[in-house]
Amino acid sequence: MTTAIDPVIVAKDLRKKYEDITAVNGISFEVRRGEVFGMLGPNGAGKTTTIEILEGMRDADSGDAIINGINVKDDPIAVKAMIGVQLQQNAFFDKLKLSEIVDLYAKLYLAKVDPVEILSRVGLDNRKNAQYAELSGGQKQRLSIAVALVNDPVVLFLDEPTTGLDPQARRQLWELVRKIQADGATIVLTTHYMEEAEELCDRIAVVENGEIIALDTPDALIDQLLSTGFKPEKRVREATLDDVFLNLTGHDLRD
Amino acid sequence: MKIYLALTVASLKMYFRNKQALFWALFFPLLIMIIFGMMNFNKYSSPNVGIYDAANNDASQALIEALKGNSDQKLLSVSTGTLDELHHELEFGSSRAVIEIPANYGIPGEFAEIKFIYDERFQQERAVIATILEKVTDAVFKEAAQVPDEYRVENTIGISDSVITGQGQGFKAWLIPGVAAMAIMQTGLFTVVFTLVRFKSQGVLRRLKATPIGAAHFLAGQLTTKAIVVVLQTYVLVIVGAVVLGVSVGGGRLGAWFDLSILALLGGALFIAIGLAVSGWAKNEETAAPIANIITMPMMFLSGVFFPLSVMPDWLTRWSQYLPLTYLADGMRAITVEGASITTLGGELIGLGVWISISFAIAIKMFRWE
Repeated sequence: MTTAIDPVIVAKDLRKKYEDITAVNGISFEVRRGEVFGMLGPNGAGKTTTIEILEGMRDADSGDAIINGINVKDDPIAVKAMIGVQLQQNAFFDKLKLSEIVDLYAKLYLAKVDPVEILSRVGLDNRKNAQYAELSGGQKQRLSIAVALVNDPVVLFLDEPTTGLDPQARRQLWELVRKIQADGATIVLTTHYMEEAEELCDRIAVVENGEIIALDTPDALIDQLLSTGFKPEKRVREATLDDVFLNLTGHDLRD
Repeated sequence: MKIYLALTVASLKMYFRNKQALFWALFFPLLIMIIFGMMNFNKYSSPNVGIYDAANNDASQALIEALKGNSDQKLLSVSTGTLDELHHELEFGSSRAVIEIPANYGIPGEFAEIKFIYDERFQQERAVIATILEKVTDAVFKEAAQVPDEYRVENTIGISDSVITGQGQGFKAWLIPGVAAMAIMQTGLFTVVFTLVRFKSQGVLRRLKATPIGAAHFLAGQLTTKAIVVVLQTYVLVIVGAVVLGVSVGGGRLGAWFDLSILALLGGALFIAIGLAVSGWAKNEETAAPIANIITMPMMFLSGVFFPLSVMPDWLTRWSQYLPLTYLADGMRAITVEGASITTLGGELIGLGVWISISFAIAIKMFRWE
């Protein structure tokens, strides 16, 4: 792996305009090595554009995105080579088996990996001979994470990894994210599920209208809110409806 | 290099696992070949005859007009040219006989001997042409007989026969290279358009953009795959076509297969480039399909795939002779049935080269990842 530089991601005053819409309006933050960093916000807030600038998929109008010491606009190829990317919409070649897809992507990074081992990390080794179109939604997301892991990335970007998944599959994905973090990777993820952010993220940036309006640990953010004298409308219960659903239908995956 | 190989191998796997693509690449063209090959268009047309007019005077022109017949009764389809060209046409089957009018034809007091050379394998057509020739010269002679007696004997026309054994193999052999050329067009254009447009609309290309590889690697893999496919496809189509329809390829010359591979690669490159340009422009399959069809459909009928350009009106052939598929079909036909080799092809190679350059220039401008 490349030399460790901390903070592993530095975003400095990123700006991006699409015709008359300002998608990113001066976003700055840092991500420390080994943490799970969450970006929260409603649809259209600028999360995906920010992430895609960091990934080298889009050029910023101004500002700097530095990944592990390399400025993305100076050497996008070098940045792409050391990060793992799960896009919001992922698609892979049809007519190829999962193991062949993983193998192909590994070769694109000139990485030597055992495709089955990578698939087993995301729990898909039993489907190694299946084709992409045969997979369920949760399996597709897990495959795209497997593909993002082929180059042993310094940073893993996950753009809305659990959108559209049922609670069972979502929980399984959370476990996977924790496991990848435990293996030493830094993870940046976007979500609009607050529960997910609370569950997974070490720190959270709340994005609105292309700007970061809050950035701290989930606990600190909640404490700040409570210190203003805020009282939740409903009585806090010991369990959520999510728990009821999982209790009724079980934790087992349905795919 | 390793990345390029990996992409090529993967896209070959994808291609050969796609049964539908194989159907369009192989079975459909074969079906067309066999159906058209069973038809006999020669039956309905007047025989083609090359006439060499060494005299080139009023009398010889009148004789040629008489041999053509009139609009009520068409007698012979006449082509003219140099003696070499006409004999080459006879040898390789695009005409059935050569009639040589001697330089002294129509000059009073000289005995003009018309030479009649025919392909011994087409006795029926020889009989038709010979009968027409005798009747017409007889009529000319009788006209001459109207003149006063003292000139009559001196104005004599004779006919001498000679025979060759040609290598022309008729419409069936003519059809095979044309259909193979059409199949190259379909494979090159459609498989490129449909795979790339699908990859683009599904986001597969976008996902590739997130990797360190450039567009060049990915496209190189795609192009290599299609190049391998068109050469294999040409072999299969020409071999199966030749066996089923019972014709020989390149007069049995082994180098003809090498020449065919080169033409298949050139044709493949050309139509792949057009495919890349279309798939760069089209956003999804719905817009790509009509464009691909608008490009290929007219060429299927205007480029001499199913019937020769000579049956089309002149104003149309003036344009259609420059179509990309015309160059490819003509070149492949010259090698398979007309005894040419890649080194003797001229205009076809230049035509293909020009079209390849134009198409790649457009493709590079048009290609987009998303």
